[in-house]
Amino acid sequence: MEPVIETQELTKRFGGLTAVDHINLSVLKGEVFGFLGPNGAGKTTAIRMLTTLSEPSEGTATVGGYDIVTQAEQVRRIIGLVAEKLIVYPRLSAVENLMFFGELYGLSRRQLKDRVENLLRMVQLEQFRDMPVGGYSSGMRQRVNIVRGLLHDPEILFMDEPTALLDPQSIRFVRDLIKDLNHDGKTIVLTTHIMEEADELSHRIGIIDHGKIIAVDTPAGLKSKIGCETLEEVFLELTGRALRDSASNRVPMRIVMGRI
Amino acid sequence: MRSKFLHEMYITFRIAHKDLLDFSKAKMLLVTFTVMPIMLMSLFGFMFPQAGTSNPFSGKVSSPYKNVPMALVVEDSGSFALLVADQFKEIASSTGLLEVQDFASFGAAKERIVAGGLRGVVVIPGGFTEAFNSRRQAAVLITMDDTNPTMASIIYGEASSIFMMISSRLGASLISKMESSADLSFLSEPISVERRNLVSSTTNTFQFLAPGFMALTVVTGTLSGLAAAIAREKEQGTMDGMIVAPIPRYAIVIGKTLAQTARGMIQAGVILGISILFFGVKIYGSPFLMVLTMLLGVTSFAGIGIIATSIAPEQETAMMMMMLLQFPMMFLSGVVLPIEQLPNWLQSIGKMLPLYYAADALRKVIVLSASFTDILLDVIVLIVYAAVTLGVAIPVFQKAMSR
Repeated sequence: MEPVIETQELTKRFGGLTAVDHINLSVLKGEVFGFLGPNGAGKTTAIRMLTTLSEPSEGTATVGGYDIVTQAEQVRRIIGLVAEKLIVYPRLSAVENLMFFGELYGLSRRQLKDRVENLLRMVQLEQFRDMPVGGYSSGMRQRVNIVRGLLHDPEILFMDEPTALLDPQSIRFVRDLIKDLNHDGKTIVLTTHIMEEADELSHRIGIIDHGKIIAVDTPAGLKSKIGCETLEEVFLELTGRALRDSASNRVPMRIVMGRI
Repeated sequence: MRSKFLHEMYITFRIAHKDLLDFSKAKMLLVTFTVMPIMLMSLFGFMFPQAGTSNPFSGKVSSPYKNVPMALVVEDSGSFALLVADQFKEIASSTGLLEVQDFASFGAAKERIVAGGLRGVVVIPGGFTEAFNSRRQAAVLITMDDTNPTMASIIYGEASSIFMMISSRLGASLISKMESSADLSFLSEPISVERRNLVSSTTNTFQFLAPGFMALTVVTGTLSGLAAAIAREKEQGTMDGMIVAPIPRYAIVIGKTLAQTARGMIQAGVILGISILFFGVKIYGSPFLMVLTMLLGVTSFAGIGIIATSIAPEQETAMMMMMLLQFPMMFLSGVVLPIEQLPNWLQSIGKMLPLYYAADALRKVIVLSASFTDILLDVIVLIVYAAVTLGVAIPVFQKAMSR
């Protein structure tokens, strides 16, 4: 399979902090690529660069053969973004939200009307179509956020923690939807903190830590290489057990409360 | 197939439309938005009334303060002192300016001022009658509650003009004893002043305030609205939804500016409506020039707003930055007070702000029925401002959005 996303020494620095550190990665056409890493490892920053939301400090990348800096507009036409911070206007209804974003992609209102109806039916929101999205439950809002990224039928879909904060039913629904979209031929870059989810959905997995890619393989390949039963064990083995953003080990509650 | 340019224009308007749609759904915001200019107009209209229009001589009194409680302390028991005190009380009550209360001593009256029952004290000091009888000037002492200096100076002016009146009547009668043939009013006021206005009606404070407030509301409304709107979209994440779409950055900037401008124009319309209906403001100039001036005022500021918002990390900072810009502007640009009341160096700062030119042009159009050539200088300054600031703002926004 041919690569559809390729990065060369892609780097992003914020002041003195290197969030993404010279990563070289390729995502193959038609695969679900699980992009994993602890909090603050650089996943979101890498995705922001690949979706043209943020310019790299160093290095380059191509998405669908287009350069993310010099051909940003072409990249934008072929990618869909399902961001972690939901891209919906809370005061507007689902239809108003989707019609607006659809028109930004140059779709005509007539074309959009049918598409929005169909997408809302697909995520089972047709009876809430005219309610302000702010009044939706988290699961409903995430479903709007997902179809927002699908309006222009993108080849490549970036999904940043699409199942965070959802109930088990919604999580199941979103995972099945991701499989469906992938069967339909879409390449999907997925980030998640739920390891069994990554295991279930991804063809290949890339683990990033401290801004660097530390492993890329199939879930099975990773498990056998590291010698662990589950992906979670692999992940902890590779990235360590210490809490991110903390220098010391965990202090037990009885010591914190002075009961010792 | 639509051309690229037309499509981009369409997207710009679509973004403005979305912003206005979003705004129209915030009911509380809509109410606040309408009440705000009404409140501003009423508050400032009464807070800064025009001083010095009262003229007790002709019985014309237009003081904003009626029946102000004033103490009168007569420390002199001479007959002349008592006569002047009676005349003072009579004029004060017949004009309805002051409500004079007798007090035994200055100390007692002072205590009452501090306690909050009085606005000032008039003291007719000891030796008053004696001074008059020996043909020397007799002085009256007036002390005001200076916690509200504006009010104090207006009331002081009124109290002293009542004494001027008593004094000049006395003077006249003294002279008439020497020159019996002359007219008494001629003797008391050999030169009289009457006011004639540039436009055929009486001016009132609101005629000055309304255009200034219209300019101010349109400009600051747009400025802070823009700051809030961009910062909110950045924070809630919807800005990413627009940036990730294949549209030019300027469409976002211009679209949002258009939406805020429309909001500002609606607010200005509310101010104008209220001014005409309740405060007797008249429009003498062309409505077209009025709208043009306001639009130019807004565009001259949009760039500044966009730059500030782009560099602000979040909404609260953006709003504070706008406040920092707006507050001095309000006083320095001659919107609330005529700029001539400021010291020279502050005037020069005021004259560097585009709001000064917008308010100036708008006032000339509304009050003096100015033509386009009359406000040409203002228009040029505003256009230059707009071009320079927007020229800087769009790349700054672009840069800030791709951090």
